[in-house]
Amino acid sequence: MALSPFGSRSPSMTVHSPNTAIRLRATAAQNSVAGSTAAVAKPMPDGDRELTEQLNIEVRERYVKDKKVGEGTYAVVYVGHLQDDPSSRVAIKKIKVNAEYKDGLAMDAVREVKYLQELKHPNVITLHDVFSSKDQNLSLVLEFLPGGDLEMLIKDSDIHYGVADIKAWMGMLARGVWWCHENFVLHRDIKPNNLLIASDGEVKLADFGLARSFADPLFNMTHQVITRWYRPPELLYGARQYSGAVDVWSMGMVFAELLLRVPFVAGSTDLDQITKICEAFGTPTEDNWPGVSKLPYYIPTDKAQVVPLQGRDFFLRQFPTAGPVGADLLMSMCALDPRKRSTAVQCLRHNWWTMDPRPTQNQDLPRKSGGTQKMGDDLTRRGGELDEGMFKNAARQLDFGMK
Amino acid sequence: MIEDDIYRASSQYRLWSYTESSLQSLRATTNAVASERVRAALRRSRETHQSTASSAGTPQSETSAENKIKDANDIECLTPEEELVLVRYYCEKTLELGETYKPPMPTMVRATAIQYLRRFYLTNSPMTYHPKSIMACALFVATKTDNYYMSLRQFAEGIPGETTAEDVIAPEFLLMQGLRFTFDVRHPFRGLEGGVMELQAIAEGQGQPAPHLPHETAEDLQQGLLSIAPPPVPSSSMADRIARAHTKTRELLKSAAQMTDAYFLYTPSQIWLSAFLLADRPLAEFLLDVKLGGPVTATIPPPEIDDNGLVNPLYEIRSKLHRVLSECSALLQSYTPLSSDPVQMKNLKRIAKKLYHCQNPEKVNISAARKRESARPSPAIQSDAGPVTSESESERLAKKRKLEQEEAARQSDDVFGGELVTQRTKH
Amino acid sequence: MAPDAASRRDEDEVCPVCKSSRYLNPDMRFLINPECYHKMCESCVDRIFSSGPANCPVAGCRKTLRKNRFRKQTFEDIGVEREVDIRRRVMHMQYSQINRITSIRLNRREEEFDSKRAYDDFLEQREDIIGNLVSRIDVAKTEAQLHKYATENMQSIRANQAIEAEEASSFQARISLEQEEARLRRQAAREEYETERREIQAGREDFLSKLASGSSTDAAAIAREGHKVLLKKSSARRSEEERIRQKQAALRSSELKRGSNLSTADFAGADTGLVKGLRKIKTPEPEKPYDPFMGYVPDKRDYYTLQSYYPSQYLDPIRNDARMLAGGYNLQDYYSRTLLEAFAGLSCFIGEEVSQRDAARVTKPAATEGTALAAESGQGV
Repeated sequence: MALSPFGSRSPSMTVHSPNTAIRLRATAAQNSVAGSTAAVAKPMPDGDRELTEQLNIEVRERYVKDKKVGEGTYAVVYVGHLQDDPSSRVAIKKIKVNAEYKDGLAMDAVREVKYLQELKHPNVITLHDVFSSKDQNLSLVLEFLPGGDLEMLIKDSDIHYGVADIKAWMGMLARGVWWCHENFVLHRDIKPNNLLIASDGEVKLADFGLARSFADPLFNMTHQVITRWYRPPELLYGARQYSGAVDVWSMGMVFAELLLRVPFVAGSTDLDQITKICEAFGTPTEDNWPGVSKLPYYIPTDKAQVVPLQGRDFFLRQFPTAGPVGADLLMSMCALDPRKRSTAVQCLRHNWWTMDPRPTQNQDLPRKSGGTQKMGDDLTRRGGELDEGMFKNAARQLDFGMK
Repeated sequence: MIEDDIYRASSQYRLWSYTESSLQSLRATTNAVASERVRAALRRSRETHQSTASSAGTPQSETSAENKIKDANDIECLTPEEELVLVRYYCEKTLELGETYKPPMPTMVRATAIQYLRRFYLTNSPMTYHPKSIMACALFVATKTDNYYMSLRQFAEGIPGETTAEDVIAPEFLLMQGLRFTFDVRHPFRGLEGGVMELQAIAEGQGQPAPHLPHETAEDLQQGLLSIAPPPVPSSSMADRIARAHTKTRELLKSAAQMTDAYFLYTPSQIWLSAFLLADRPLAEFLLDVKLGGPVTATIPPPEIDDNGLVNPLYEIRSKLHRVLSECSALLQSYTPLSSDPVQMKNLKRIAKKLYHCQNPEKVNISAARKRESARPSPAIQSDAGPVTSESESERLAKKRKLEQEEAARQSDDVFGGELVTQRTKH
Repeated sequence: MAPDAASRRDEDEVCPVCKSSRYLNPDMRFLINPECYHKMCESCVDRIFSSGPANCPVAGCRKTLRKNRFRKQTFEDIGVEREVDIRRRVMHMQYSQINRITSIRLNRREEEFDSKRAYDDFLEQREDIIGNLVSRIDVAKTEAQLHKYATENMQSIRANQAIEAEEASSFQARISLEQEEARLRRQAAREEYETERREIQAGREDFLSKLASGSSTDAAAIAREGHKVLLKKSSARRSEEERIRQKQAALRSSELKRGSNLSTADFAGADTGLVKGLRKIKTPEPEKPYDPFMGYVPDKRDYYTLQSYYPSQYLDPIRNDARMLAGGYNLQDYYSRTLLEAFAGLSCFIGEEVSQRDAARVTKPAATEGTALAAESGQGV
C-alpha cells in the first residue's frame, strides 16, 4: 500500500486532538469538583474556563511573540518562537477584527484557515496552529519564511539568475499548485509576491484568502478573483464556472515574468487587460475557443482587429532564454481556451523539468536579505490586493514588437 | 491504500475522529467542568443577592439568601446523556431551519452546520451556551465556509422569529474556538454520487475493474451486477434500482448520519456505504466485492494468518470492513427523529426544564458579553442587584420567582420551537 | 619552501649573458628557463626573447627558449630546481591545447589502485622515470614512454573535442540529445516503478485468482505461497534495480564526459599501458533524476480506475452547456473528486487507529503540529 511521500507530516504527528489536554484537565476538574466547598467565592484557575477555552489557551501558550514585522489594515504580523524552543521561528499573523465589517470573521480569514488546515505540502505555507487571544482576535501561527518572495528577486536588478534557477522556482510553484488542485482547492491569487521563500530556498505558496474548493457543477463562483495581471481571459470575460486552469494561467504569467523580469501582460483596467492579452496571445474567437462568445462579458472584436493566435515561434522569439522546450511549456500554460490549457499535472509531466539544465538546488538559488520584512508585508496584505507601487512603469517598458 | 492516506491528512481525521470510549470520556469531562462552573456561577450570583440584601438591611431576605446558598450546592446539573439529547434536538432544528429557509440552504451547508454544533458541544456544554443561541450562528458560519455566502443582514432576515443579526453573530468567535478553527467537514454526499456513478457505468457495460482486481472485464462486471439478489422493493430496471437506492441513501445521510455520532466514529466512505447497505444490501455488497474481492459471508472466519503473520491485505480489509459497516449501519438505523417520538419528546421536555435551573447565568447573554469583550463578563442577574428601589427586595424576589415559573411553564409547552434566542436575558 | 634565492642581494652577482652586475643595477632580477636552467637577467630575457623564440645565449646550449617560460629561481641549487621541475612535470604532465591546459596526472593516490602491491609497483616505476630524467639516463626512451602515455590520452581528449564540436554545430541536435537522455532517464525510473508495481500486482492477482478458484480454507496456504514468491521476486528485483541504477550511472557519466575533459583523461588513463592495476573508476552515485512530483505518483489509485465518462442524467445538461465549458469547467474534476470521496478512508478503521494514536500520545504527549515544529527546529530551521 503506497504511502504519501510527505510522510514527515504523518497524521499521527500532526494530531491536534484535544484528548491529551482532556486527560490532564479531567483530573483538575475532578479536583475542583471535590474541593468546591472550600473554594466557594474564589473561582478555580482552571475551573474558571470551559474545556474549549482551556484547549485554546494551551495552544496560545505554546508560542511567544518576539517582534512586529508588519502591520496592515487587515493583519499584524509578528515573528515569534515556540515557548520551549527559543531557537525556533514562526510567523504569527494576527487578524484584526474589522469594526466596520459586521458579518463576523472576514471571508479571507475563513478561507485561509479552512484550506491551510487541510493542505500540508512542502510548497504550501504550513499553518502550525490557530488560536484566539483574549480580545477575540484570531492568530494564525505560520511557517517562518525569511527569504522574501519572488517579486523581490525579480525586481532586484543586482540579483542575477538563470534558466536553471527559474526552473527550480517554477518547479516548486507548479508542485504547490498541483497539490492544491489535487485536493480540489483553487488558489485564485497566484502572483510573485504570494510566492514566499523559506530559509532553505524552498518556494511556498501563501495567502489563501481567495481560495475555494471546486469541481461541483452548477455552483456559481465569482470571477472577481486573481490580481489583474495574472487573471486569465475566462475570468475577465466573467465566467462563473471554471477550473484549475485559472491558476495555471497565473503560473504562466509568473513564468513569463521570471524570464522577462517585468510583468508580461500588465493592463491598467480589466478592459485594458483583455486588450493586452489579445495583443499578446491572439484574439479569442469561436474558432480558437468554442463557446467564448457565450461568456457574460465577452466583447466581440472587429474582424479587422483580430490578432491571430500566436504559435510556437512567438513564444520562442519572446522568451529565448526559456529555450524551445521551456517556451513550449509556457505556451501550454497560456492557451486562451482554458480547456486547451495544460492542467497542473500536465505541466509537471512536461519534458522541460527533466532536460538540462537541471533545476538549481535550493541551497544554490539566488537569495536576498530583508526577507523577514517582506514576509511581514506579504502576510498583512489582504487577498487580491495589488501593491500599487510595484512595476509602476511596467506597461510602458513592455513592447511586444507587434501591433 | 492511497485514498485512505489522503483522508488521513484531513482535519476531520486528525482532530475529529474518536473511538466510542474516547468520545464518551471527552463528553464526561466537558460536562464535569461545565457543571462545576454552573454551580460556582450560581453561588456567586446568590452571594450578590445576599450582599445587596444585607445592605438593604432586611433580615427576611438574609434568610432567604442563606437558603439559596444551600440550594446552590445541590443544584442538579445535566448529565452528559441529557446534554447529548438536547444537542441532537437542536441539530434537528438546524436541519429544519435550513430546509425552511427561503430559498432552502444546500444540503451540504445544513450538514456542515449540524456537524459544527456537534463538534462544538464536545468541548462546550449546553449548560454554558444554550444550543438555541448557537444554532443560527452555526448555520451562518456554514454558509461562509461552504461557499454559500450571504450577508449577515440578509441571513438574519430569513430566520423566523425576532432573531437579530447581532444575535446570530454574537457567538461566532466562541463557535469557531470550539471548532478549534477547523472549518472543513468531509461529508459522505459527494462520495455517494461517485459510488452511484460507478454502478451506473457498470450497469451500462462501461465499468472498469478496480486496480487490484484487474481481470474483470466490463461484461463480467455488468453480468455480475445483473445477477445479484433482488432488491428489497421490486424495481423495473437496474437503472431504476440504483436510482431508488441512491435516493434512500441520500435521505439517510441527510438525517441519521447527521444526528448520530457517525462522523466522529467512521469515515465518509464508510458512512455512505453503511447507509447504502440499509437501502439495498445486495447492491452495496456487489460494489464492495468489485472493489475488494469477495464475497465475505456474514459468518466470517477469523482472519487467516500465515507463518509470517501476513494476511492478504484485501481479505483483511474486506472482513474488517464488513464488521465496521455493520456497526455503522446499526448506528444509522437506530436513529428516529426526536420530534416524531412522543416518548423522546417527553424526555426532552424534562431535560429542558432541568436545564432552565442549571443554565450558567454568566454566559446567557452572549451578545452582551461580546460587547464587553475582554472585560470579565458580569453576571446577567447582576442587573437585578442594582441600587435598591422603593420596591422591597423580598417582593422583588417573589416576583422574579413567579416570572421564572411562568417562563418555565411556557418553555416546557413549546419546548424551544420557533423561538431561537433565549428569553432569559429579558428578566 | 626554501628562501627565494634569486631575491638575495649579492652585490657581486653578474649576469652570465650581458655581464652587468647588481652593483651597477640594484634592481636587476635573474630568471631561468626550465628547458636548460641557464640563468640570465630580466633585461636580457626581454631583449633576446621579446620578438619570439630564440636559442639560449649561453655558449654551447642550443635549446630553443620561449619568453613566457622564464621564471624566478626557487632553489639556490639549480640541480634541485631541475629535479623539482621534472617531478612536477611527471606528476602533472601539462599539454597546451587550444585555449585549454590539460593535465595528465601521475600523482595517483593509493585508493586508485586495486591493491597495495599495484600501488607500490606504480611508485617504483614513477621513481624510475624521475630518476632517469634527473640523471639523464635513457632520457629518450623515458620521454618516449611519457609521450606515448600523453598521446594516448590526447586521443581520447581529441575524440571528446570532436563530439563537442559536432554537438555545438547544431543547437537543435543538442536539444534533442538532451531530450533523449531525459527520456531514457525517465524511462529507467518508470521501468523501475512499473516492475515493482507489476510484481506486487502480479503477486496479488495470482493470489486472488488462486483464492477465487480454491476453497476459502486454502486461503492461508495460498497466501503463504504467494508471500514466498513475492519474497523471492523481491531479491530478483533488487538486482534489477541495481541494473537500472548502473544504466543511470552510465547515462550520467556520458554527461560528465561532455562536461569535463579532466575526468575523461583520468578515465582514459586507466587503460593505458603505463600505469597498471588501476581500479576501475567508480562514478559517484548519480544525483537522482529530478522528479517534479517528488515521488508521488499522480492519479494512482487503489480502489477505482477513473474513467473519462460516467453515465449520469443529472450531469447530461452540463455536458452540453457551452458557457460552462467555455469557462473551463471540467466534468473530469467532478468525476475525480466524487470517486475519490467515494472511497477515501474506506479502510481507515478509526476505532483501531485512533486508539493506537491516543496510546502513542501517552508516551509522547502533545504530539501536535507545534511539537513537530519543535522537532524540526532542533535540526536547525
